[in-house]
Formats: sequence, structure tokens, C-alpha cells
Amino acid sequence: MQEFLQQIVSGIATGGIFASLALALVLIYNAMGLVNFAQGEMAMFATFIAFTLIARGVSYWIAFPLTLVIAFAGGIAIQRIVIRPVERAPILTLVIVTLGLATLLNGLAGFIFGYLPRSFPSPFSVQTVDILGALASYRDLGVIAVSAVVLLAIYLLLQHTTVGLTMRAAAHHPEASRLLGVRVSWMLALGWGLASAVGAVSGIMAAPILLLEPNMMQTIIIYAFAAAVLGGIESPLGAVVGGVIVGVTVNLAGAYIPFVGGDLQLAVALAIIVAVLVLKPNGLFGRPNVRRV
Amino acid sequence: MPALLELDEVRAGYGPTSVLHGVSLSVPEGEVVSLLGANGAGKTTTLRAITGGVRWTGDIRFAGRSLRGMHTEDVVRGGIAHVPEGRGILTELTVEENLKLGSYLRRDGPAVRKDYDRAFEYFPVLRERRRLSASTLSGGEQQMLALARALLMRPKLMLLDEPSLGLAPMIVRSIFEMIRTINQADRVTVLLVEQNARLALDISSHAYVLEVGRVAVEGASTELKGNESVRRSYLGY
Repeated sequence: MQEFLQQIVSGIATGGIFASLALALVLIYNAMGLVNFAQGEMAMFATFIAFTLIARGVSYWIAFPLTLVIAFAGGIAIQRIVIRPVERAPILTLVIVTLGLATLLNGLAGFIFGYLPRSFPSPFSVQTVDILGALASYRDLGVIAVSAVVLLAIYLLLQHTTVGLTMRAAAHHPEASRLLGVRVSWMLALGWGLASAVGAVSGIMAAPILLLEPNMMQTIIIYAFAAAVLGGIESPLGAVVGGVIVGVTVNLAGAYIPFVGGDLQLAVALAIIVAVLVLKPNGLFGRPNVRRV
Repeated sequence: MPALLELDEVRAGYGPTSVLHGVSLSVPEGEVVSLLGANGAGKTTTLRAITGGVRWTGDIRFAGRSLRGMHTEDVVRGGIAHVPEGRGILTELTVEENLKLGSYLRRDGPAVRKDYDRAFEYFPVLRERRRLSASTLSGGEQQMLALARALLMRPKLMLLDEPSLGLAPMIVRSIFEMIRTINQADRVTVLLVEQNARLALDISSHAYVLEVGRVAVEGASTELKGNESVRRSYLGY
């Protein structure tokens, strides 16, 4: 029982990492109906920036927010420079552009920082604390806390500020929003900036566990896809719940289903994607796609 | 009275299809002007040209300034509220959030609060439903929401595209009463596009009839109403 609880806590922590990246996917999907295949590589690149800052002697708790600001600006720059010229192109074109962007960022990171895996500092120790009989590591609890704060901040921004309101308006009804004076194109850019920053959180939380290298996020992005699809791809809350469910499921499957172990965990995520798409295509929180005729 | 809005030989279209072939009209400050005509005559396109939703040539002047080359957002911020075809309700958002999108650019806080009170006084049902999703409103209530939101933008000019479309006659009457009130009590100039010519001529002072992208007839609303041949050939009643 105790070990079971430990697996759940550690699953929630992993889930927080998935949830952040899944939320980044949802933000961009909502803004333009596009799955951003470069989201993981953007997060990886931001993590390298954090790594560089820390290596130059900047303290972790300054490097962390600073990286988010840089990632935010970088996301806006990517939208303005790479995405905006093809904004009105067919969705397949946009998908290919994000795939190209992913390859570009991956190669660029390899070129600048090399492919050698590097250990990334965590501000939380790996020592454990006893919670109701279960041993939880400070690192897991720290990841859960940081993810929770970030996700809550995004929620408050979207639901309770004017800028969040105009972002949601621009995402769902660009034409009607323009007629109300909303600068739709900038709202999309802001969406990319936010997604980039949230994704960066996921990368920075994942790096101490996985070791930092250019391909670090390539498995995480699959889990994030699973989380986003499970939550219903359009729903920010769904992405968070989906992230936690995927994290816990994958962790428990790895620990208790003998043939899964550490090798087939990714297959569990893919199984979740397939199962959701077959059984409940709108996910847990998605609305059915009904059109009035 | 000087004209608040002037269109001068405006041509516009969608890609290779041209819809307006040189429309000139003028909307005097403080008046309600209707723009009538059959389906496909170019009424909606005229409104879309004014707020930059479609490319146009010729000239459009609002409050003395040309709107040439301006983006929709900037035209709207300059004081034109456009309630488009289909009302432009953001159905993913609540009633209150829709209203907030009408007033969010304004910096005159106390006046905004007064305007909210007045909008709720005009349309009490919106106050009752303000926490609900706008998608739960009926067609008439959505039209009320669109008008209230336009009012909260505190515009000099409102462009209304077929406010009667799809509504029951009784609701249409109350919507038109509100348009009259908004024009008279709130001093908003209105350019009204309507299929229902009789109603439109009743509340407007001046009217233009479009036929395939050109102004076919114009005149004082009372004159057009009295002219049997105009009524028969253009207004269909």
C-alpha cells in the first residue's frame, strides 16, 4: 500500500510535467486549430537557455523566471516571423511548418550546445519526507508545487483578466472579435508566447530527471499529446487532468504490470491516445463537435 | 447637419467577384438611415467595406477622416459599432463576457458603469442571464445582447445588419423600438440594413435602395413609402 501511494505521488509529479506541455499544446490548438509539433523542442531550447544562465552563475530562482520571460518573447517571435506568413495556409502546411521548426530547433540546440547529456540542477533535494505513511521525495513535491502554481496562474490569466478574455475571444471568433476592436493577430502571438513559457516550465522540471540533451522532450511530447487528447485537446483544464492521469497511469503500469516495466511506458501513452480517439474522441472535457445547419 | 459617414463611388468584392459597382451614400449625424434591397444586392458588403472586412476602392469618410487602408480594429476603435450578419455573438463566452468585450477599451470607468445600468434597463433579461453562456440565449435575446454590447462601445455610429432576421414579429417590434431609443436617447447615428423594408422605413429618416451593387433609388423614407412604383419594384410589399 505504501509503495502504491508513493507511485501515485511520483506519478502526479510526472503528470505535472506532462500537464504543462499539454497545456502549451492546448493554448495553441485553441488559438489556431493547430497541433504544434515544435512545442517539445521549444521547451528543450528554453531549458538550454536556463542551463546556460545557471552555468554562468545566475541563481536557480532568478534563472527560472528569466527563462520563462525569454521563452515568452521567443514564442512571440516565432509566431510573428515563422507562423504569421503562413497563417492563412491550409492546416497541413502549418503542421509541416511546425515539424520543420522542431527539426530546426533540435539541430540548432545540437549545434550550439552539443549532444552530450548534461545534468541539470534541481532546487529540490531527492530526500524523502513521510506523508501519511508514504515516502515522497522533495523533488516530486517541488515539481507538483511548481506545476500547480504555473497552471493556476494561466487559469487566472485566461479566465479573470481582460487580456485573457480578449485572447479567448480572438481564438474562438476572430471575425467577431475584430469588430469589437480586439487585435486578433497580436492575441495569437500572445498565445504562442504563453504556450512557449508554459512549455519551458515542463522542460525545466523534466531536465533534472531525464538529463538535458536536444532529444530530451521527444518522449515527453508524446505523453503530452496523450494528456491533451485525453482531456479533449480544446480544454485547458482537460490538459491538466489528462496530464495527471497519464502520469499516474504510466507510472503505475511501469511498476505493477510486469511486461511494461520501463521499456513499454511510452506504449501505454500511445495506447491511451488510440483508446481515447476510438472510444471518446472528444476526450474528457471536450465538447462534441456539433454544427448547427 | 454634416454627414457623419460618407461613401463615395465605393467598389468592392470578394476576389475576382465584384459586388459593389460604385456605391455613394451619406449618413447625416443623429439620423437613422436604412439601406434596403434584395438578397445579394450588396447591403452586407457595404457594411463590411466600411469596417474594413472587405477590400474597397473609392472613398469612405467617417467624421471627416478617410478610412482608406485602416484595419477593422482601428475603424471600430474610432467609434463605429458593427453588429454583423448573424449578430457576432461569442457563443463560447458568457453573456457578461460578451458585454465586457464591448466596453473593455473604454477608460471612462464611471460612465461605463452607468452605461451597463442603462443596457440592463433596456434589456432586463440580460441581467438575469449574465452568468450563463451566450449560446443558451434565444435568437431575440442574442440580438438584444448584440445591441447592448454595441451600446457599451459608446459609438458615434452603429451599423446594424438585418436585426430582424429570424425573429418572431413581436420580438422584431421590440428590437426596433430599442433601435429608435438608442438613436434618440443615446444619440447614436444608425445605418440600418434590412430586408423588412416596411419596418426600416418606419424608423429611418432617409433610405437607399441597392440593386446589384448600385444605388437604384434614394430619398426621404416617407417619400419612398408613399411611392407606389418604388414599393412594388424594389421593396416587395
